[in-house]
Amino acid sequence: MRFIDSTNFERLLKKLSGEGELFVPVLDEDSQKNHFERVEAFPLPEGTNFEGFRAVETLKGFAQLVRSMVARYPTEGMDEMDVEALIPTFVIVGAKACDVRAMQLVDKVQVEGEFTDPFYKARRDKMILIASDCTEAGETCFCNLLGSNPWPENGFDLSISKVDGGYLVETGSDRGKTIVEENSELFTDLREGQEKSRDEVRMKVLAGLKATNKKYPSGEKVTEPLREALSDPLWQDEAARCLECGACTNICPTCYCFLLFDQKDESGEGFKRIMSWDSCQVTGYARMAGMGNPRPRLSDRMKHRLYHKYDYLVLSHGEIFCTGCGRCIDACSASIDMREVFSRVAK
Amino acid sequence: MNNPYYPIDTVLEDVITETPTIKTFCLKPVRPVRFKSGQFMQLTVPGVGEAPFTPSSDPNIAEKMEITILKTGKVTDALHELGPGAKLGLRGPFGKGYPLEKLEGKEVVVVGGGVGLAPMRSLLYGLFDDPSKYKRISIKFGAREPAELCFRGQYNEWVNLSENIDLTTTIDVPHPEWDGKVGLVTTLLDDLDINITDSYALSCGPEIMLKFVTLKLLEVGYKPPQIYLSMNRKMSCGMGKCGRCNVGHYYLCVDGPDMCYDKIKHVPNVFG
Repeated sequence: MRFIDSTNFERLLKKLSGEGELFVPVLDEDSQKNHFERVEAFPLPEGTNFEGFRAVETLKGFAQLVRSMVARYPTEGMDEMDVEALIPTFVIVGAKACDVRAMQLVDKVQVEGEFTDPFYKARRDKMILIASDCTEAGETCFCNLLGSNPWPENGFDLSISKVDGGYLVETGSDRGKTIVEENSELFTDLREGQEKSRDEVRMKVLAGLKATNKKYPSGEKVTEPLREALSDPLWQDEAARCLECGACTNICPTCYCFLLFDQKDESGEGFKRIMSWDSCQVTGYARMAGMGNPRPRLSDRMKHRLYHKYDYLVLSHGEIFCTGCGRCIDACSASIDMREVFSRVAK
Repeated sequence: MNNPYYPIDTVLEDVITETPTIKTFCLKPVRPVRFKSGQFMQLTVPGVGEAPFTPSSDPNIAEKMEITILKTGKVTDALHELGPGAKLGLRGPFGKGYPLEKLEGKEVVVVGGGVGLAPMRSLLYGLFDDPSKYKRISIKFGAREPAELCFRGQYNEWVNLSENIDLTTTIDVPHPEWDGKVGLVTTLLDDLDINITDSYALSCGPEIMLKFVTLKLLEVGYKPPQIYLSMNRKMSCGMGKCGRCNVGHYYLCVDGPDMCYDKIKHVPNVFG
């Protein structure tokens, strides 16, 4: 672990911005929340904030675009196109542990296994990720219930922790090590007490999270009762408030489901195959030709989303696909809180 | 690099009208596509979209492929308008395919209804490779009316292949040109002359048919592990990534589309 002062850290980011577009969290004065913004020029934008808790935006949109072309037809050579070469390197600074973890989870679906999504993989490979500790927790944060901590432990290139005058920097990949080695003049050794002061902040944030969430069940205590709750009336209850807007799935860092559809291209002769985010909460999501629909009721769909995350993916990929970021709670106009739902399930 | 979203250029060589609403599309992809019985393809109609279909042709033939399709939605409506020479696209194969190894030495009952006969034909071609591997191949086909029984011209040829192959058919309601059995396909499962403990039953058809075939099979003594169903769900990617075709925690596109009933019997609305 190394120390970098704030001025040198900005120098480092300026240098890294030469690799590709650079994104940093910027604090919005009104909402007091971080939003990722692209850095157009240095110095860093006013309000750049590597502290606080996770940004409103997830990292998902950097790896799986809201809408993107994945094939064109008929075009010679399209099946041999060099996706790696098409996608530029980019740098994200200030991602929190829950979001780094979310990317690791989605990697299991999009990269691992028999088929790899070459577009997602290329964007992940081209993502230089500098994570940072949470220095406070949001009201809806519950990463501690998922066995995680509010500081990044792996899955990043570099990770920074705020201390007096600058940041402690940990490396998490070969690429991260190279960045530190190539810029060694910007770093110094740790001073006494810096690590301790980092740990004090960490413990304070964790204690806050534990206090906020002490009445809710931990993720591992949800899966089993969930399996027993398939026909529980609580689903109709909870779904009665749902507005079917799909905000929860769009804002979720581990909701990776998508739709492929074809569009005529500009020439009007060929077509483009588009991959677009989709939401399992809307009626047409699973509707088939002939109008058959395995989840016609809103309660079926709401249940499906939570089962997918807390049961199905545990069975198929060995992990709960929720990192406790709490965005779905923030985003829900009907104030549906996953933690409350699970309290009822695990009662 | 291998882009799994890119369809292989494919030419429509011929179209065979099977019934008033079902046609078989004879396809020639620019490079051979090897598939196993029961695996499915995503078929692209350029500019319209793609939809999942299980080939109805012999899995030993990779250079050409036949897919038998009911006119029932956007993509299939467009397909039914096409004639020889049309350009299409294919992705796949996807899914596991039928568990042919498990069927060896067993009495195999194949139950198909309506356009569900299409994937069943590919299964049968797989079984017909060496019928002696199976103790019995008993085919039960049903349709609403005689004109909707797919592949009728081939039935005699099939039963003549080997002594252990039999085929019975039924139509849902009486028809002036029909002197055979009348009743739903489940009636062909009454008085089964099959050693059920030594048998597997495989079925493909509309969800409502799968439901009643399953109930009937259970009633006559089959256990859930002996029943395989070709399930229907909306599909998009075919590779377990788009998250659309869940049946419980299974993705039909990866774990199916033919599922052992034992694995999915607890899923609510399993038959849609």
